[in-house]
Amino acid sequence: MIKVSGLSKSFEEKTVLQNISTTFEPGKTNLIIGRSGSGKTVLLKCILGLFEPDSGKIMYDDRDLTTMRQKERKMLRREIGMVFQGGALFDSLTVEENVRFPLDMFTNFSGKEKLKRVNFCLDHVNITNANHMFPSEISGGMKKRVAIARAIALNPKYLFCDEPNSGLDPETSTLIDNLIHDLTKEFNMTTIINTHDMNSVIEIGDSVLFIHKGEKCWEGTKKEILNSGNQVLEDFIFANKLYAQMKKGQIH
Amino acid sequence: MNILYHVGRYFWMLGKVFSKPERHKMYGRQLFHEIDALGLNSIGIVVIISLFIGGILTIQLAYNLMNPLYPKTLIGLGTRDTLILEFSSTIIGLILAGKIGSNITSEIGSMKVTEQIDSLDVMGVNSASYLILPKIVAVVFIMPFLVILSIFFGLVGGLVVGPLAGVVTVPDYIDGIRYFFIPYYVTFTLVKSVFFGFLIASVPAYYGYFVTGGALEVGKASTKAVVNTNILILLFDLILTRLLLT
Repeated sequence: MIKVSGLSKSFEEKTVLQNISTTFEPGKTNLIIGRSGSGKTVLLKCILGLFEPDSGKIMYDDRDLTTMRQKERKMLRREIGMVFQGGALFDSLTVEENVRFPLDMFTNFSGKEKLKRVNFCLDHVNITNANHMFPSEISGGMKKRVAIARAIALNPKYLFCDEPNSGLDPETSTLIDNLIHDLTKEFNMTTIINTHDMNSVIEIGDSVLFIHKGEKCWEGTKKEILNSGNQVLEDFIFANKLYAQMKKGQIH
Repeated sequence: MNILYHVGRYFWMLGKVFSKPERHKMYGRQLFHEIDALGLNSIGIVVIISLFIGGILTIQLAYNLMNPLYPKTLIGLGTRDTLILEFSSTIIGLILAGKIGSNITSEIGSMKVTEQIDSLDVMGVNSASYLILPKIVAVVFIMPFLVILSIFFGLVGGLVVGPLAGVVTVPDYIDGIRYFFIPYYVTFTLVKSVFFGFLIASVPAYYGYFVTGGALEVGKASTKAVVNTNILILLFDLILTRLLLT
């Protein structure tokens, strides 16, 4: 579980996040949604420790990230998997080497054990016969799946995804969404996904946090989101006519 | 103030670079890769440039020593000492600042803008150390060898071009390069090459590591890195010459 309380962050004069408090539960896909520039990525980077918040607490179970020493943070990071927007695979390494990288860095597994784990992770994301290909030789959807495989290689307790289906076709997007959802359930991870894709919300939004102008505007589940009664959220969702029709019951 | 900011951040980065590595084995693997990519791949250009420099130096020295009172052996001696004291270390340093420096900035810069460095940080890997330390060690290690190679091929260039141009005979040239040899000059040039190697790897790495934006910014950072590394090489050349040769 990750619990954020009273989190604020400014860059020089500009306040980007203001007094955000929320809880991200394990075994659930927790989505952070909002317009571009609303502060979603800054919130995610604060939770990850890539940005230092101005105030507030970030609790990983019973450990407060904001008061941790550098060494403790490093240890915590071994429990974290992250899928970046573009995949962030290492260009100079093959698919297999990319997934093996955290194992090489942080485990004492033998070569055989590492290969077994790599193949296990790649199987889970439905990647076969691509072990020796380089990132430049695979498609965008495959890159995302390899990034997910790398993120789960160390069996993390916490999984973060920054817009995991941006730039993908609807079919691949759904596939990635379902993959993350299934892995979250299977490994009981605390998963936080940063997205502005409403399809993801409807598909896998076990818990949804809506950020608007750096503030928490609404929180609920995918079932509640179409009837939230929150005007700002409705303006965001129903900018897409498809969801407006869904709400009216014209689409089931 | 801007210079102070960059100097401060450069040393802060070096602090991170020289902190304890997570796993020595992984760094060792990176080191061999960098020696190959940055050092061994530069041998070709070093040989070509050195051959030309040696040849040109020999002709120019012969032109300046046309007075029949000067012995012809001075041409070989002058070529040798100029190559050892200045050209092989400084010119090769400047050339490699362009070749290796732009390579380092664009590689690290591209990793930065595609979030690969963030990815390392999130994993708990010291990205500065993992990416930059093997490059610095590789270039510092390989530079003295490249300089020795450059001196040798510079002398060969003079040996080939001098007699072909008719400005010096082979025996006179060889007598010249063997005459009044001062071994300390080699020590001096090797010390310089170590300093230059450090600058060639660390300054471009700094520009790549802190780049923000996209491909355009990476290109600009590469240019800045090469220009500033060249200036620093010349500055350190002056300082080291003043300190070690007087």
